[in-house]
Amino acid sequence: MTVTDSATISAASSARKTALTLRGPQKLFDLLFGGSTIFFAALVLLILGGVVFSLVSGSRLAFSTFGTDFIFSQFWNPVTSKFGARAPIYGTLMTSFIAMLFGVPISFGIAVFLTEVCPPVLKRPLSVAIELLAGIPSIIYGIWGLFFLAPFMQSYVEPYLTSTLGAVPGLGILFSGPPLGIGILTAGIILAIMIIPFISSIMREVFETVPVMLKESAYGIGCTTWEVMWNIVLPYTRVGVIGGVMLGLGRAMGETMAVTFVIGNSHRIASSLLAPGQTISSTLANEFTEATEDLYTSSLIALGLILFVITFIVLSFAKVMLIRANRQAGN
Amino acid sequence: MAATLDMTRYRGRQVQSRIALGLACAATSVGLFVLGTILLTLLWNGLSALHPTILTQMTPAPGSKGGLLNAIAGTIAMTTVGVALGTPVGILAGTWIAEYSRGSVLAQMVQFVNDILLSAPSIIVGLFVYELMVVPMGHFSAWAGSVALAILVVPVVLRTTVDMLGLVPSALREAAAALGTPKWRTVTMVCYRAAMQGMLTGIMLAVARVSGETAPLLFTALNNQFWSTNMNAPMANLPVVIFQFALSPYEDWQHLAWGGAILITFTILTLNILARFLATLSSLKQ
Amino acid sequence: MQTPIDGTNDSYPDDSGSTRTAPLEAKSPVAEMTNKMVIKDLRFYYKKYEALKGINMALYDKHVTAFIGPSGCGKSTLLRVLNRMYQLYPGQYATGEILVDGQNILDPKLDLNLLRAKIGMVFQKPTPFPMSIYDNIAFGINLYEKLPKSELDGRIEHSLRKAALWGEVKDKLKQSGLGLSGGQQQRLCIARAVAVKPEILLMDEPCSALDPISTQKVEELISELKSDYCIVIVTHSMQQAARSSDYTAFMYLGDLIEFNDTATVFTNPSNKRTEDYITGRFG
Repeated sequence: MTVTDSATISAASSARKTALTLRGPQKLFDLLFGGSTIFFAALVLLILGGVVFSLVSGSRLAFSTFGTDFIFSQFWNPVTSKFGARAPIYGTLMTSFIAMLFGVPISFGIAVFLTEVCPPVLKRPLSVAIELLAGIPSIIYGIWGLFFLAPFMQSYVEPYLTSTLGAVPGLGILFSGPPLGIGILTAGIILAIMIIPFISSIMREVFETVPVMLKESAYGIGCTTWEVMWNIVLPYTRVGVIGGVMLGLGRAMGETMAVTFVIGNSHRIASSLLAPGQTISSTLANEFTEATEDLYTSSLIALGLILFVITFIVLSFAKVMLIRANRQAGN
Repeated sequence: MAATLDMTRYRGRQVQSRIALGLACAATSVGLFVLGTILLTLLWNGLSALHPTILTQMTPAPGSKGGLLNAIAGTIAMTTVGVALGTPVGILAGTWIAEYSRGSVLAQMVQFVNDILLSAPSIIVGLFVYELMVVPMGHFSAWAGSVALAILVVPVVLRTTVDMLGLVPSALREAAAALGTPKWRTVTMVCYRAAMQGMLTGIMLAVARVSGETAPLLFTALNNQFWSTNMNAPMANLPVVIFQFALSPYEDWQHLAWGGAILITFTILTLNILARFLATLSSLKQ
Repeated sequence: MQTPIDGTNDSYPDDSGSTRTAPLEAKSPVAEMTNKMVIKDLRFYYKKYEALKGINMALYDKHVTAFIGPSGCGKSTLLRVLNRMYQLYPGQYATGEILVDGQNILDPKLDLNLLRAKIGMVFQKPTPFPMSIYDNIAFGINLYEKLPKSELDGRIEHSLRKAALWGEVKDKLKQSGLGLSGGQQQRLCIARAVAVKPEILLMDEPCSALDPISTQKVEELISELKSDYCIVIVTHSMQQAARSSDYTAFMYLGDLIEFNDTATVFTNPSNKRTEDYITGRFG
């Protein structure tokens, strides 16, 4: 190709007649950019791997010292260096259970209200308001729990519970003891309040995936609104609803700050729900920086490992459910 | 005869439906009432604590007057560094999933793990960074706090990046390819531009998420009574100060904790509302 | 003058491969014209599904060739093989040969970016990039050439004029391309494709999303552009094929049923299926 050639031709016609090359080392950039994207994608896996590795290696000392006793023993005494995780595990499970007990029905009610009852004008503002509340940091719930909810529980709710349910044989033991305001029950209620925005917005989302035709055919044979919700919408969205509930459960179990404010930090497992207790996360928040001994630190990290394993299982289950629900909605 | 029986049954069903929907309304009112109470308590206690000195003075010793300047500065510093570290990771990893992975098993794994990280207890992240940085370095530091926050930023940004790039029509990628555009330029100049608002939304949500995080900072950045600009040393931050002051027996400290709480809540609500507004804008365009 | 895309510059292979469909020899009047692109026994697969079942044909320089046929016949697929657009997606592959100026573009060693710069494409729906009108066109040019500002401006004006859009946008070059009307957006995309100076222009139902007036403008544009390019257009509108193409290929179920000059295909089709389709008996 000669110079004159290309000059004359490019002037005459708009079709290219010169040899094409990309400007700059584009191949290299392609390689660098593509390479860095996969590197960082792998980094995400590496973070999870790192979390697992650091928890396992950090907790080795505790498990080698106490063996499986660590999980089942109730003693937690930094002075004598005896550590057992039963109380925090119990606290984590119990507060989460209470949170679910209150949180799930209320979330379901809110989701039903928003999809079926709510006037269209209010629908969007209400959904947005509820989703915004999911963004409020947990420390705010904690400080509110400490200064508002706990005194309220102490003066009104707990005395009432003791005088009514406390007198019921068997059940009464759960509601005995002095009303302190702080304790397992209060922590559970705070958690319930915190997970309501999460669960109700997921439920609302999955309810909206129900084909309109399906609902209309149910109404068409004379079903009431409630019957449509309970017999059509809920079974249809079952998988997604379970996923949402499990996601809320995962959050409740791992929640730290709100619980730490109101749980009371007692290492004893009390039979009463009104008594103070502790969860895994509240123990970590309270004691980790004070732990000077290796075995103490290792035991706390072992608590972290237990929490991680439990939440990992719950969250994986939730995720699998939500993926299945998504697939169903796509079909 | 049969007709009257049916009517009774029908009325029963109607009553049942009314009761159930009434309960749903009640649940909504309870939920909104509680959440309203939280905001009102916050306003009631917080507004009286909002004094200009909160922004000009350092955290005080118990019993004396002071502000939250060092804590606010620390939170801004660590949030900025955390977001600056986490955002590129989230965006590039999300780009790989959306643009390069072609739905491979590895991509599904990364997304799954990412969703777990999104909801995993943040205190666990604190433990991880403690082992990763605090132990080897031998001391608590703002760097460690920032890294812990960055790890919380990644899943939020990754998730929105994947979602937003997924909304970019493939015709746009084909059009760029048809001009002979190298892939990295298609992604950075066409796809990123098209998904810009959505990705910004994700970053703002991430800022909102980490600026209120307390648990991961407890044993990474720790706290500091004083003004510090040294990222290699413990640094004060708003959430941990609120935690410490609220639980203290001193009224001045509790008062400051409420002041900090209202600052942080309204910052986060504003960020969330802005993010939502941006998301609405970008969905209107598509 | 040929433009080598890559090191592989095979000699022109003789046409001895078995032809299952449309005979190349049938079109004697085109013998003296330049074959810009020769397709030989092209098969295309979506995973296991064979979407193109051995296509043989030639596309002529400075003429317009239209692909017609009922939905799902493979006409768009064939077009997307011609610049290997299918490679953006997993599980899709092609066998056979496509020779452009004697060079097989299905060669895996070929640089796809350079190939696609040489073969422009316009899509069903307008695809302006989310940037200004000016940048939309400068985008493609800047990939391959470093032009001084004045020359770049000139090239952009030239491309917009070619696409009959200059008059409408010359005062708002800095505005977003997304703000134009559908017809204007499509012409912007044509200008963008032309600005890279391709040799072949592929158009995938370029008017299907446009109103009649915009359609007319784009069709006029096609007949102007053909003096410079080899143009291939996929269309579901037989009127459009009749109006704007010189040659027409009728496809059905992945086979090329008939390929001839447009007048012959529409007035005197040799195949019964073609006749049924163009007279509206099926499709």
